[in-house]
Amino acid sequence: MSDRDSPTDPTADSGRPDGADESPPDAVDGEGSVSRPADERPPYVESTIIMTTVRVIAPFVLTLGLFVMFHGASSAGGGFQGGVIAATTVVMLGFAFGIEPIASRLRNEHLALLVLSGVGTFLVVGLGGYLVGGNFLQVSGYETVFHHGSKYSIELVEVGIGVVVSGIITSLFFLLGTGIDAADAADPDTDSEEDR
Amino acid sequence: MSLSVPVAVVLLFMLGSALAAAVIRDVVGSIVAFAGYSFGVAVLWALLRAPDVALTEAAVGAGITTVLFLLTLARTTVTRSERFEGISLRSGLAVVAIVVTVGATVPALPAVGDPSAPILAGDVSQYYLTNAYEQTGVTNVVTAVLVGYRGFDTLGEVAVVFAAGIAMLLVLRREAFV
Repeated sequence: MSDRDSPTDPTADSGRPDGADESPPDAVDGEGSVSRPADERPPYVESTIIMTTVRVIAPFVLTLGLFVMFHGASSAGGGFQGGVIAATTVVMLGFAFGIEPIASRLRNEHLALLVLSGVGTFLVVGLGGYLVGGNFLQVSGYETVFHHGSKYSIELVEVGIGVVVSGIITSLFFLLGTGIDAADAADPDTDSEEDR
Repeated sequence: MSLSVPVAVVLLFMLGSALAAAVIRDVVGSIVAFAGYSFGVAVLWALLRAPDVALTEAAVGAGITTVLFLLTLARTTVTRSERFEGISLRSGLAVVAIVVTVGATVPALPAVGDPSAPILAGDVSQYYLTNAYEQTGVTNVVTAVLVGYRGFDTLGEVAVVFAAGIAMLLVLRREAFV
């Protein structure tokens, strides 16, 4: 974590700041560092308005995400979009009730299982193309197995994509949002854990 | 070329927010301006009748990317100083040169909605539009191409998303997602 801010400012200053802004490059410009200790990060601020709003609209957002995910074969949408929208529910809950309390209710195994099951669904559908007499990912081969087999296998793949994307987005959110770094493995003592 | 009024308004909004994202010194303000730019792109795709791309841009570009940027910002310290970036003469000239070079290719593009455009008159597009429903049974031709015809590419995209999660674990030196 060496301060790598030094290369940026000399180039910005030596490059002749022509009339854009008259403020001279002061000394505090360039005090930023690439990591901030967990106890100096902006704390979670409890807001009744945000909590109430999220509590009301979260089911609808999750429903929209699932609709976009499942209905991608018939209307605009698909696994990528629906997965992101579904994961937005978790993001909203994190912003409303604090990221750490939400993270403490989830377990790593569940998220990993979510992601792996999505990838596994895609691969199973793809490899199943061999079993029904086609090639890898040849979904038209499923028509011989059951009615509308091609359509339903495409939708199954879309759901698998959505599961992967929602799991990864949730994971990225918690990885970036929770405070524990490798350097300081202190307990996440944020504020107001239980008063949701 | 019929540039309708809503498209022109959205393009102006995108231009303004893109300039703001580049010029504003405050990082939070720059992130918000960038989110506004992504939202403008999403509206533009919706106006140009590409709802699948618009949905992706709105959800990923304007939504989740902004959240991840802000979370990353919370993990770093920045000091605010002057309001705007000082633009050096050299970088300004480089931007102007790139804009002129790329802009010079714009007149070569077909007009919006031109029926003789290669994307409409080409054999590949017409093949998909003609045969997608009979061959896959899916009414959304975008999904049909994405999974039915180009499933291997989509598997690669899923692998990229999966790798992003693994890479984040490696970068942050963690062993668990939560």
